[in-house]
Amino acid sequence: MAIGDPGPEVISHVDALKNAETHLAQMEVRYRGLLEAAPDAMVVVNQAGEIVLLNLQTEKQFGYQRDELLGQKVKAIIPEGFAERLLADGSRSAEEALAQHIGTGIELYGRRKDGSDFPIEIMLSPLKSAEGVLVTAAIRDISVRKTAEANLLQKVVELNRSNEELGQFAYMASHDLQEPLRMVSSYTELLSRRYKGKLDAEADEFIAFAVDGANRMQRLIRDLLVYSRVGTAEMDVLDISSEAALEQALINLRVAIQESGALVTHGPLPKVMADEIQLIQLFQNLIGNAIKYQSHGVPRAHISAIKDGVKRWVFSVRDNGLGIDSQYFERIFGMFQRLHKREDFAGTGVGLAICKKIVERHGGDIWVESQLGTGSTFHFALVGKEY
Amino acid sequence: MKTLGGKPAHIDVLLVEDSPGDVRLTQEVFREANRSIHLHVVVDGIEAMAFLRHEGVHAHAPRPDMILLDLNLPKMDGREVLAVIKEDDGLKSIPTVILTTSESEVDIVKSYQLHANSYLNKPVQLDAFENLVKSINEFWLVNVKLPKHSRGE
Repeated sequence: MAIGDPGPEVISHVDALKNAETHLAQMEVRYRGLLEAAPDAMVVVNQAGEIVLLNLQTEKQFGYQRDELLGQKVKAIIPEGFAERLLADGSRSAEEALAQHIGTGIELYGRRKDGSDFPIEIMLSPLKSAEGVLVTAAIRDISVRKTAEANLLQKVVELNRSNEELGQFAYMASHDLQEPLRMVSSYTELLSRRYKGKLDAEADEFIAFAVDGANRMQRLIRDLLVYSRVGTAEMDVLDISSEAALEQALINLRVAIQESGALVTHGPLPKVMADEIQLIQLFQNLIGNAIKYQSHGVPRAHISAIKDGVKRWVFSVRDNGLGIDSQYFERIFGMFQRLHKREDFAGTGVGLAICKKIVERHGGDIWVESQLGTGSTFHFALVGKEY
Repeated sequence: MKTLGGKPAHIDVLLVEDSPGDVRLTQEVFREANRSIHLHVVVDGIEAMAFLRHEGVHAHAPRPDMILLDLNLPKMDGREVLAVIKEDDGLKSIPTVILTTSESEVDIVKSYQLHANSYLNKPVQLDAFENLVKSINEFWLVNVKLPKHSRGE
């Protein structure tokens, strides 16, 4: 074997090196392809905070040529937050530093060559290399999202304000309407009392219609006032006994209960997080309906509650009344919705809308199960306290 | 309350109210509740004070046994009238009852701070108004014991 002639082992070693280099080059080509195809700006930064690699998106987003950024401090394009983070990561293991999402919860800004800033979000991942651990940062321009978020927030603020104004308006309007209405209803009532039978039959009829109209309008306005109060009043949400609220509702309903001879029973009832006045109103409306929408026999209502999940209680008010056709299950909770002729059942169609409003303000929901002729069960869910 | 030979002759009530419909209705309902009530009506706060101080056309006005005061009045509103009455040694012992449509907590608190003798809401229903007037009559004009007065002197 001639001197200088490489032995077979050496040849195989060189081949291995060549293979490895080819492999690396191939890897880089692939990696480069990936890097350039990424929709986000991507920069690779060394521990000194210098940019060692970047993709086309970085050039586009920051307005630099590639050569202008290579070797530059990352602080030039991300003035705050990122470089500091690199230092902190230096003392951490690669696993810990893996795929960290920075910029959520904190506002990070990218700075373009022209000095203008734009909001960004950064995802970091470590990359082991011969020069030590590098950090790959995927930088996403979130200007569009930020603008959308700001617009949405603005819309929410406007919507809340207009809702509040509307609530105030409804309250003021119904309150002020009560004043002239009091005159109409009081005087038609006086007319009817003093002149009934003293004029002719037609006059009696006309006066009766006027009295009835005024009375209905009074109920309507009273219910509208309750509805708008329920929607706009400050809520005093406390840990209260739903049983005490039910008892108060039954006291408020005692005339209706006595007159109808209704039997109202209840199972054990929990403590819940609720505004007591509103919970009383809720029971009162549901039980009032249970007693009212009856055809014959003794009205019965049973109130119960079961725990559904850790903090949720589902209350049920079951009656033996007329029942509701399933096609109306949604509609009955709407404003001014009525299912019966006025001669059969008086009402404004506001009661269940009030119930829905109350439950929704408590973050719960309300629904009905019913079959015509066998009664209805109204369910509502409230968030309780964890016990 | 003035008495003649031990029997109540008549009771003077001053109603401070600017709405003619309300005035008439109150007259009707008081008449039904107690025939011996003389309801004197003034339409604003200025006139109410003139009545109570026997000024001008009210020179011969009686000292009322009770004042029914609306809060929202032209010229001088009920709150001001109430404040003046309750600061006047000659007038402060006259029971002054606020009778208003306002259900505002602010008005209620303010009225009692100004020493209103009670605060009542005008009910919307005629029946309820009649019951209220009956109870005003029974409490403030029949059962209540008040110091004897010699006409605000």
